[in-house]
Amino acid sequence: MNETGSKIKNISKIKYEPKAAEYWGPTPDEARKKAVEKSKALKDKTTTLKEAVSRFVKDGINLGIGGFVNTRVPAAIIHEIIRHGARDLTLSFQSNSICNEWLAGAMIVDPDRVSIKRAELSWWGYEIIGIAPLLRYLNTNGMIELDDYTNYGMSVRFKAAAMGIPFIPVRDHGGSDMELTNKGKMVECPYSGRNVYIVPACHPDVGIVNVTASDVYGNARVMGAQCTCPEIALASTHTIITTERIIPTESIRTYPNLTEIPYPAVDAVVEQPFASYPGACYGNYWFDMDHLRYYRGICDEFRKTGNRDGLKKYFDEYIFSCETFDDFLEKIGYKTLRKLRAMDGGQPIIL
Amino acid sequence: MEYSAFEMISYTGSRVLEDEKIVFVGTGLPIIAAMHAQLTHAPNLYMIYEAGSLAPILDFGMPLSVGDTRAARRACYLKGLCAVFELTQRGYSDYAFIGGAQIDMHGNLCSTLEGDVYEKPNVRFPGSGGAGAMAANCEKTIVIMALERRRFVKQVDYVTSIGFGDGSPDYRERAGVMGSGPYRVITQFALFGFDEETRRMKLLEVAPGKTVDDIKGMVEFELLVAPDVKEMAIPTEEDLRLLREVVDPEGYFLKRVTR
Repeated sequence: MNETGSKIKNISKIKYEPKAAEYWGPTPDEARKKAVEKSKALKDKTTTLKEAVSRFVKDGINLGIGGFVNTRVPAAIIHEIIRHGARDLTLSFQSNSICNEWLAGAMIVDPDRVSIKRAELSWWGYEIIGIAPLLRYLNTNGMIELDDYTNYGMSVRFKAAAMGIPFIPVRDHGGSDMELTNKGKMVECPYSGRNVYIVPACHPDVGIVNVTASDVYGNARVMGAQCTCPEIALASTHTIITTERIIPTESIRTYPNLTEIPYPAVDAVVEQPFASYPGACYGNYWFDMDHLRYYRGICDEFRKTGNRDGLKKYFDEYIFSCETFDDFLEKIGYKTLRKLRAMDGGQPIIL
Repeated sequence: MEYSAFEMISYTGSRVLEDEKIVFVGTGLPIIAAMHAQLTHAPNLYMIYEAGSLAPILDFGMPLSVGDTRAARRACYLKGLCAVFELTQRGYSDYAFIGGAQIDMHGNLCSTLEGDVYEKPNVRFPGSGGAGAMAANCEKTIVIMALERRRFVKQVDYVTSIGFGDGSPDYRERAGVMGSGPYRVITQFALFGFDEETRRMKLLEVAPGKTVDDIKGMVEFELLVAPDVKEMAIPTEEDLRLLREVVDPEGYFLKRVTR
């Protein structure tokens, strides 16, 4: 395939450093090797967050984050990662809010414990609640490197990885500045001779996903919007899932069509109710706008004043003083969780 | 009856949407406009939400964001981002309904950053999200923006969502995208389209009380003006009732305060 280009340079004014054509994580060959090496036994993979995170999360990894903005985000796993510590992270996700902002907050509070080196992403913010103050702080101060794609671009990069292919052609990014600044390439289609954009597969070292239900082996159901969770689980060399509840394998075997993540792609299963809190989980609970606003307010205060005290206090109270995610939920309180459960409205799920 | 800028934008957005089409909606006013259209002239208009739902029935209320679990309510098809963007790439999304921080005369949009240097911008916005893919591959792009000179600029800082590029006839083809491109730009004071020959923004309608010159003064670039500029229709009492009592009764978007 011949490399070519659109006419973006006629209108672009952005200055940028071209990115090398490389993967910011395992290569497709490395990812394939890890998959081949794994035991394919149906074995009980249930464990604790502490155990799962300490086993798989290391400095320098590419962390693939599931969910979408405030929906079914793997907040409980991030909460544990912050306590465990992880430096020089590469984050990969399409759109996310609290997961990234929690990690970014931890980086500001204690960069020797948690730090984000770079992110391959599409969107980082809270939607109706506002922009992400810490993204703005880190990026405008040149503290993290970004690599921008569309939501489809990031999603399909995980999909390409899940398919075991090194790149995938798409019909977006071309003619925008992302064509210049990201790792994709404009090439001539060998069949039509026309321009088509290709984006590289994205294999995280560790994928983190919260699911509606899973059996002990990691056969998982994702109810409501699936976001890009099945693709991230399959793309990652190791995948940790939290599940709102464990269901019997007999249920999985009765309705195998409902399995969105198959067990070989999962390395650790942690039963954790409210694992997306303060985000939402379809059929379980709605998002806690008050808590998101509260944390965002603290971050915005830091961005405007440079004073870390509010952030330190938040992290001490809600993360560092907790042993487990349940300790955090206890601080939030039963009444709030009960209200959020009612606000879901009882969206139908199949267990 | 008095109406706000957001109500005018939502009502105009609704007017632009045709029946028997699919609209890929962004958060906020696009959702409100599409819900209003469904309740009035377009009962067979359906929405795509990028977290993965097609044609939901929003009987739990207006989703506060495109990832809101309410957006999945009673959908016909509920998968993930890949599925709905691939429906779009395949040709099943008629309208992209997006916003941005800056737009130029060829409908190119920026929602990534403000500044000169990608690695260290002056201001960082959330990023493309779905917008870049929607502008590329929905058949027609509808943009909602506040009409302000600092937003309607000669050159955007970063092209996040493709419009007609430099205006050359083959810009989009060379970019490898599928949709036909910018169709309408909706603001509180004016409705714009694009000239077929030059692919430049063209004033189609102005709000009551505003003149063509007023609008020209609110954009940085040279604006084309349709020979028969019309007055924008204003929402009726019934339209306002639907918007305020049925679509956004909590006032999440319609009661927001403008800067």
